[in-house]
Amino acid sequence: MSQPPAANDHPPAALPSDQSPNPQQPEAASNPPEPTPTSPPNRPPRPKKKKGPNYALLHSSPLPLSTHPLPPFHPSHPLSLLHLCYTYLSHLLSPPSSHPTTLYTGYFSPQTRSVHITDPRTMRALWEMGFFGKGTLSRSEPSWLERESAKVLAERAGEGVGRGGAAEEATRRRREERRLFKLERARVERGRIERQRAVEEGRITVEEAARLGAGDEGKVGGDGEVGGGGREEEQPLLGTGAPAASLTDGGGQLLDPASAQAEPSLAPGNTIAPTSTGPTEPSVNENPTHPPNPAEQHPELNIPNQEHLQLTLEEAFFLSFALGVLEIRPYPSTTTSTTATPDPNLTPTTLLGLFTAHSTFPPTLTPTPTPPIATLPPDSPFLLAYTTYHHFRSLGWVIRPGVKFAVDYLLYNRGPVFSHAEFGVLVLPAYTHPYWSSAAGLEHRRKGNGGRREGKDWWWLHCVNRVQSQVRKTLVLAFVDVPPPYCEVAAGEGEGGQGIAGLLRRYEIREFVVKRWLANRSRD
Amino acid sequence: MADADEDVIPRSGPLPEDIDLSEETQDFRFLAAISNEDAKIPKRGEKDFEPHATALQSNTLAASRQAMHNALSFQRVHQPKGYTTATYHPESNMAYAYNPKGPLFARMGQVLPGKEDPLGDDELRGNRLWLLPEEVLYLVERGTLDVRWPADDDDGEDKGLPMSLQGAYAMFIGDEESHGQALTFERYSVYSGLKRMGYTVQRAPSWNSPGPPLRPECYPPPPQRTWQPGFFSINHWWKTWFAGSSDDHDKDQASDQLIQPGLYRNYADIYRRLALIDWYDPTRHLPSEAEAPSTDAGFRVMYHIWKPGSQTFKKSAPGPPDFRIAVVDGRATAVPTLEQLGALMDAVPYAPPKEDGQLYQKVRHGYKNVILAIVDQGVVSYLRIADAGFGHEKLYDRKVKGFGGKRGGGRGGRGRGR
Repeated sequence: MSQPPAANDHPPAALPSDQSPNPQQPEAASNPPEPTPTSPPNRPPRPKKKKGPNYALLHSSPLPLSTHPLPPFHPSHPLSLLHLCYTYLSHLLSPPSSHPTTLYTGYFSPQTRSVHITDPRTMRALWEMGFFGKGTLSRSEPSWLERESAKVLAERAGEGVGRGGAAEEATRRRREERRLFKLERARVERGRIERQRAVEEGRITVEEAARLGAGDEGKVGGDGEVGGGGREEEQPLLGTGAPAASLTDGGGQLLDPASAQAEPSLAPGNTIAPTSTGPTEPSVNENPTHPPNPAEQHPELNIPNQEHLQLTLEEAFFLSFALGVLEIRPYPSTTTSTTATPDPNLTPTTLLGLFTAHSTFPPTLTPTPTPPIATLPPDSPFLLAYTTYHHFRSLGWVIRPGVKFAVDYLLYNRGPVFSHAEFGVLVLPAYTHPYWSSAAGLEHRRKGNGGRREGKDWWWLHCVNRVQSQVRKTLVLAFVDVPPPYCEVAAGEGEGGQGIAGLLRRYEIREFVVKRWLANRSRD
Repeated sequence: MADADEDVIPRSGPLPEDIDLSEETQDFRFLAAISNEDAKIPKRGEKDFEPHATALQSNTLAASRQAMHNALSFQRVHQPKGYTTATYHPESNMAYAYNPKGPLFARMGQVLPGKEDPLGDDELRGNRLWLLPEEVLYLVERGTLDVRWPADDDDGEDKGLPMSLQGAYAMFIGDEESHGQALTFERYSVYSGLKRMGYTVQRAPSWNSPGPPLRPECYPPPPQRTWQPGFFSINHWWKTWFAGSSDDHDKDQASDQLIQPGLYRNYADIYRRLALIDWYDPTRHLPSEAEAPSTDAGFRVMYHIWKPGSQTFKKSAPGPPDFRIAVVDGRATAVPTLEQLGALMDAVPYAPPKEDGQLYQKVRHGYKNVILAIVDQGVVSYLRIADAGFGHEKLYDRKVKGFGGKRGGGRGGRGRGR
């Protein structure tokens, strides 16, 4: 499997797409530039853009259920009418089901308070159809096996550095470049200060300092917004402290040629110019449907998949109760023999009690294994989070945990692969029912809050709002109106009965959008 | 690629619309530069993060400090042309001036009718302009107004002793609790900040009371009835034949699963069955009898403001305000509960987004909005809170790829063909 050395000269399929926009690659430079009359002769050839996977096709189902639409009828094609009738009759006689024939299985793990999915088919299905869960060894999509296989293959091929196609590789590369850039910039800054001090103390003259400073070329100036934005219009000042209007000399530059040889990492092919800040695509994906999996292509690697998909409690409950595609079991205990009794599936009613108990830490386990729904505290963190989750899912949003941005949930229009999240949702309980103002209600409220002073302060809200505006999202406060507990309400309520759906129907959600208002900018 | 959000961490700094230069201490050396005719507005400079022990840095700092001292020690004088004197009226804690000149007074102060004028309906009433405490304080700080204590009889012809700035603060802010009109320092900070930016600020009716009864404009309009019986019956017939079984609430109760296995034609059907949680609908029409608002004392609309270039503002007929400000004490209150926010939203008129707007714009605009001015010991921060109606924007009904929008068009064609 060793590649011939001459293959490196061609613009290969191995060229990662995130380096391809950079025209100073040696591989691209070896291409003869195509002499077209319209393009200027000095322009390097545009390198081929590698196609990423077709996300619209991959993620065409927003939920892990299948639908069977009738084929469209075209009046100009009479045969389409036949096709339509045939499909309709076959649906009548043998109706296809929306649920998969074998339901997906997950295991509830009380230690991590989440549900684990280990079956690879389930992992792919749940990620692709609705973006549920997170791979434990990946950033979000379970891609650990691909990366490991790619790394092993690359090592075997002797290329040295693994050329993984997954998102983590691109991130690692970009972070490395940024770290080197920052080291450079710090070194340049130190040098400039040293020169300034030397001039003031009279050790070197102004002309010498200018000569030393001018040796830096502005290669690092690409990060102009942080380093050079304010400096461009101010002239370099190397005098002995004359207070002119300018503050600093021009820009963060590279080191002067005298010390350039000392940097082996600054190989010519590895410039410090920062790459684009947009999302980079994984490489080597000509296949429009599923990306070629190196693990599948090379079964002799035989790497056991050490990653599993982890679902939060709300996602697991949604899949199990609302959609009914997931069966959750407790982890098989190794002490008892498993031949006698099969593992019981946890029904959604049991799950509700279990998840509510585990939503606080330490978990408030009750003596009875299945507490009746009526005795569950209605303002438990699980129920609050789940009602918000269900509400936004039922409107069509893709909702994922938002702990990375200091909020509870992030809302995506179609999915993380298509666009950035537009909203960050914070869940806050609201107690508007008169029961909560009574003595018993106040008592229950305080218990549920863990003894903290009720109500958040303004500094916390401003912090979260700042974070959201920094990452260009909008903050949404979702107030969940908590109903009084079942046992406190008269039995003849008649609203929704005793099922889980009846319990959830008693909640109400109200959303507020919070945005900073700048008086200076709203004047016109 | 999956989870592109980590790449969003922007390295270009905050968005241009988020930069508020009034939050940072500006360099006073730029003032001297602006005095030239051809001076440009300087861009934000670079910050040094630590002392370098270079003479250049310390000299720059010294120059900036000196520029600030020069700017602040400028002696301010009353111009003889615009000199206005006002007299303090202790009983109502306001001040009155006779025919004050100047552009500021076009938007401040009011001439009271005969019944309300504390000095009675004498011949000078039409020229007497009454200024509210915050207006007086702002003008005194600015140097436009010279407030005098009321003249005693034994002073003769004098106009009365001039009131110092400390005296003005003490009278107009310090003594307000006994009068019940409650101008606190927080409200004054908001008032003076907005006035300095050029807005026209007036007190709202709910200044120190829950406010007047809610008018019909606070409520969304009642829903229109559409009279299309024929359309309704065809639609109903179509649904029963082709769209599968109708949703049945009772079945949901007994089972432990919302979506039963079956035949579904498109994802919109599935999403409709998933709708379980009630959501607050801001367009829901409430009963028409005028309710008394029950706004919490800490969360009330206190100021109505108009934009600086507003052509429609007249003192006699101000018109609807551009923004409504509720001043909140950041140290005494917490993040509002739903009751407080709901009551505050009820008192604000209904302002829906455009019907044909984009999804994100519509949700962000909201159906009702108010601006909270949170004051923390003199530092004011404005937050715009809007009542979003996420439930109205059903993503599965929008005609986008991947949700089966095009197939719905095919169904309509078949219906007409039969």
